[in-house]
Amino acid sequence: MLQLSKNTVYELISRGEIVAKKIGKLYRIPTASLSFLFTGIDYDLYQADTEDRKNLSIIEREITKARAGK
Amino acid sequence: MRVFIDSDVVISSLLSSKGAAFKLLHATDIIPIVSTTSLKELRIVCKRLHIANDAFETLIQKKCTVIPLQIKTQNRYKKYVLDPNDLHVVAGATSAKALFLISYNLKHFRVENIKNDLKILCMTPALFLQYLRSN
Repeated sequence: MLQLSKNTVYELISRGEIVAKKIGKLYRIPTASLSFLFTGIDYDLYQADTEDRKNLSIIEREITKARAGK
Repeated sequence: MRVFIDSDVVISSLLSSKGAAFKLLHATDIIPIVSTTSLKELRIVCKRLHIANDAFETLIQKKCTVIPLQIKTQNRYKKYVLDPNDLHVVAGATSAKALFLISYNLKHFRVENIKNDLKILCMTPALFLQYLRSN
Protein backbone atom coordinates (compact mmCIF):
# COMPACT_ATOMS: atom_id res chain seq x y z
CA MET A 1 0.00 0.00 0.00
CA LEU A 2 2.81 2.41 0.86
CA GLN A 3 5.03 1.15 -1.97
CA LEU A 4 7.74 0.68 0.63
CA SER A 5 9.57 -2.50 1.58
CA LYS A 6 9.05 -4.01 5.02
CA ASN A 7 12.64 -3.12 5.96
CA THR A 8 12.15 0.52 4.94
CA VAL A 9 9.02 0.77 7.10
CA TYR A 10 10.93 -0.68 10.10
CA GLU A 11 13.74 1.81 9.42
CA LEU A 12 11.30 4.74 9.24
CA ILE A 13 9.78 3.60 12.55
CA SER A 14 13.20 3.33 14.22
CA ARG A 15 14.13 6.83 12.94
CA GLY A 16 10.85 8.19 14.30
CA GLU A 17 9.58 9.27 10.87
CA ILE A 18 6.60 6.97 11.31
CA VAL A 19 5.17 6.99 14.82
CA ALA A 20 4.32 3.45 15.88
CA LYS A 21 3.75 1.47 19.05
CA LYS A 22 5.02 -2.07 19.45
CA ILE A 23 2.42 -4.27 21.12
CA GLY A 24 3.78 -7.78 21.62
CA LYS A 25 5.59 -8.67 18.41
CA LEU A 26 3.59 -6.34 16.16
CA TYR A 27 3.90 -2.65 15.41
CA ARG A 28 0.65 -0.70 15.46
CA ILE A 29 0.66 2.48 13.38
CA PRO A 30 -2.02 5.12 14.07
CA THR A 31 -3.75 6.68 11.05
CA ALA A 32 -2.48 10.10 12.10
CA SER A 33 1.15 9.12 11.62
CA LEU A 34 0.51 7.95 8.04
CA SER A 35 -1.33 11.11 7.02
CA PHE A 36 1.71 12.82 5.54
CA LEU A 37 2.62 9.78 3.45
CA PHE A 38 -0.82 9.67 1.86
CA THR A 39 -1.82 13.33 1.66
CA GLY A 40 1.40 15.35 1.86
CA ILE A 41 0.06 17.21 4.89
CA ASP A 42 0.11 16.57 8.65
CA TYR A 43 -2.94 14.93 10.20
CA ASP A 44 -4.21 18.07 11.97
CA LEU A 45 -4.05 19.99 8.69
CA TYR A 46 -5.76 17.13 6.88
CA GLN A 47 -8.59 17.32 9.43
CA ALA A 48 -8.77 21.11 9.06
CA ASP A 49 -8.91 20.73 5.27
CA THR A 50 -11.71 18.16 5.58
CA GLU A 51 -13.62 20.53 7.88
CA ASP A 52 -13.52 23.31 5.27
CA ARG A 53 -14.55 20.99 2.44
CA LYS A 54 -17.87 20.25 4.18
CA ASN A 55 -19.15 23.69 3.19
CA LEU A 56 -17.22 24.12 -0.02
CA SER A 57 -19.89 23.16 -2.56
CA ILE A 58 -22.31 25.79 -1.17
CA ILE A 59 -19.57 28.40 -1.04
CA GLU A 60 -18.36 27.74 -4.59
CA ARG A 61 -21.94 27.83 -5.90
CA GLU A 62 -22.60 31.25 -4.34
CA ILE A 63 -19.24 32.67 -5.45
CA THR A 64 -19.82 31.46 -9.02
CA LYS A 65 -23.24 33.14 -9.02
CA ALA A 66 -21.84 36.37 -7.58
CA ARG A 67 -19.01 36.43 -10.16
CA ALA A 68 -21.46 35.86 -12.98
CA GLY A 69 -23.58 38.75 -11.69
CA LYS A 70 -26.58 36.53 -10.94
CA MET B 1 4.99 37.13 3.28
CA ARG B 2 2.38 38.48 0.87
CA VAL B 3 -0.41 36.00 0.19
CA PHE B 4 -3.44 36.64 -2.02
CA ILE B 5 -6.56 34.98 -0.64
CA ASP B 6 -9.39 33.83 -2.90
CA SER B 7 -12.95 34.47 -1.73
CA ASP B 8 -13.74 30.80 -1.01
CA VAL B 9 -10.99 30.79 1.63
CA VAL B 10 -12.30 33.96 3.31
CA ILE B 11 -15.85 32.57 3.42
CA SER B 12 -14.63 29.18 4.71
CA SER B 13 -12.81 30.90 7.56
CA LEU B 14 -16.04 32.61 8.56
CA LEU B 15 -18.05 29.39 8.50
CA SER B 16 -15.71 27.27 10.60
CA SER B 17 -13.04 28.10 13.15
CA LYS B 18 -11.72 24.53 12.95
CA GLY B 19 -10.87 24.68 9.27
CA ALA B 20 -7.59 25.33 7.48
CA ALA B 21 -8.88 28.63 6.09
CA PHE B 22 -9.42 30.01 9.61
CA LYS B 23 -5.96 28.82 10.72
CA LEU B 24 -4.43 30.46 7.67
CA LEU B 25 -6.11 33.83 8.10
CA HIS B 26 -5.11 33.88 11.75
CA ALA B 27 -1.51 32.88 11.12
CA THR B 28 0.81 35.61 12.33
CA ASP B 29 3.58 35.34 9.76
CA ILE B 30 1.61 36.19 6.62
CA ILE B 31 -0.09 39.24 5.13
CA PRO B 32 -3.44 38.07 3.69
CA ILE B 33 -4.46 40.24 0.73
CA VAL B 34 -7.82 40.62 -1.00
CA SER B 35 -8.82 43.03 -3.77
CA THR B 36 -11.63 45.56 -3.93
CA THR B 37 -13.30 43.33 -6.55
CA SER B 38 -13.12 40.34 -4.19
CA LEU B 39 -14.52 42.50 -1.43
CA LYS B 40 -17.65 43.28 -3.47
CA GLU B 41 -18.35 39.62 -4.21
CA LEU B 42 -17.56 38.65 -0.61
CA ARG B 43 -20.20 41.05 0.69
CA ILE B 44 -22.78 39.52 -1.67
CA VAL B 45 -21.88 35.94 -0.72
CA CYS B 46 -21.86 36.72 3.02
CA LYS B 47 -25.35 38.14 2.73
CA ARG B 48 -26.61 35.11 0.80
CA LEU B 49 -25.07 32.65 3.26
CA HIS B 50 -26.36 34.65 6.25
CA ILE B 51 -22.88 35.30 7.60
CA ALA B 52 -22.87 38.10 10.17
CA ASN B 53 -21.71 41.32 8.55
CA ASP B 54 -19.82 42.34 11.70
CA ALA B 55 -17.76 39.16 11.68
CA PHE B 56 -16.88 39.68 8.03
CA GLU B 57 -15.97 43.35 8.32
CA THR B 58 -13.90 42.70 11.47
CA LEU B 59 -11.97 39.93 9.70
CA ILE B 60 -11.22 42.19 6.73
CA GLN B 61 -10.24 45.15 8.91
CA LYS B 62 -8.10 43.25 11.39
CA LYS B 63 -6.50 40.55 9.28
CA CYS B 64 -6.52 41.53 5.61
CA THR B 65 -4.94 44.13 3.39
CA VAL B 66 -7.28 45.36 0.65
CA ILE B 67 -5.73 46.43 -2.66
CA PRO B 68 -7.48 48.39 -5.41
CA LEU B 69 -7.97 46.61 -8.72
CA GLN B 70 -8.64 48.06 -12.16
CA ILE B 71 -11.06 46.09 -14.33
CA LYS B 72 -9.41 47.36 -17.55
CA THR B 73 -6.15 45.50 -17.02
CA GLN B 74 -7.65 42.13 -16.20
CA ASN B 75 -7.95 40.74 -19.75
CA ARG B 76 -4.23 40.10 -19.97
CA TYR B 77 -4.69 37.25 -17.48
CA LYS B 78 -7.13 35.27 -19.68
CA LYS B 79 -4.67 32.49 -20.33
CA TYR B 80 -4.37 31.75 -16.62
CA VAL B 81 -8.02 30.91 -15.93
CA LEU B 82 -10.64 28.55 -17.33
CA ASP B 83 -13.55 30.82 -16.44
CA PRO B 84 -13.23 34.52 -17.35
CA ASN B 85 -15.18 35.37 -14.18
CA ASP B 86 -12.10 34.27 -12.18
CA LEU B 87 -9.80 36.75 -13.98
CA HIS B 88 -9.83 39.22 -11.11
CA VAL B 89 -8.29 36.65 -8.75
CA VAL B 90 -5.12 36.27 -10.83
CA ALA B 91 -5.11 40.01 -11.55
CA GLY B 92 -5.39 40.68 -7.81
CA ALA B 93 -2.56 38.31 -6.90
CA THR B 94 -0.29 39.90 -9.51
CA SER B 95 -1.26 43.43 -8.53
CA ALA B 96 -0.59 42.62 -4.87
CA LYS B 97 2.88 41.30 -5.78
CA ALA B 98 1.89 38.16 -3.91
CA LEU B 99 4.13 35.11 -3.81
CA PHE B 100 1.18 32.79 -3.20
CA LEU B 101 -2.40 32.51 -4.35
CA ILE B 102 -4.49 30.53 -1.89
CA SER B 103 -7.73 29.02 -3.14
CA TYR B 104 -9.86 25.90 -2.80
CA ASN B 105 -10.74 26.23 -6.45
CA LEU B 106 -7.37 25.37 -7.99
CA LYS B 107 -8.90 23.38 -10.83
CA HIS B 108 -10.23 26.64 -12.27
CA PHE B 109 -6.72 28.11 -12.55
CA ARG B 110 -3.87 27.14 -14.84
CA VAL B 111 -1.50 26.76 -11.93
CA GLU B 112 1.57 25.74 -13.94
CA ASN B 113 1.29 28.81 -16.21
CA ILE B 114 0.75 31.06 -13.19
CA LYS B 115 3.81 29.57 -11.53
CA ASN B 116 6.04 29.82 -14.62
CA ASP B 117 4.95 33.21 -15.99
CA LEU B 118 3.86 35.14 -12.90
CA LYS B 119 6.04 33.40 -10.29
CA ILE B 120 3.03 32.89 -8.04
CA LEU B 121 2.47 29.53 -6.36
CA CYS B 122 -1.15 28.38 -6.14
CA MET B 123 -2.05 26.23 -3.14
CA THR B 124 -4.91 25.20 -0.91
CA PRO B 125 -4.87 26.59 2.67
CA ALA B 126 -3.78 23.28 4.24
CA LEU B 127 -0.96 22.79 1.75
CA PHE B 128 0.23 26.35 2.34
CA LEU B 129 0.18 25.85 6.13
CA GLN B 130 2.24 22.70 5.60
CA TYR B 131 4.64 24.74 3.47
CA LEU B 132 4.98 27.27 6.32
CA ARG B 133 5.73 24.46 8.77
CA SER B 134 8.38 23.01 6.48
CA ASN B 135 10.26 26.28 6.11
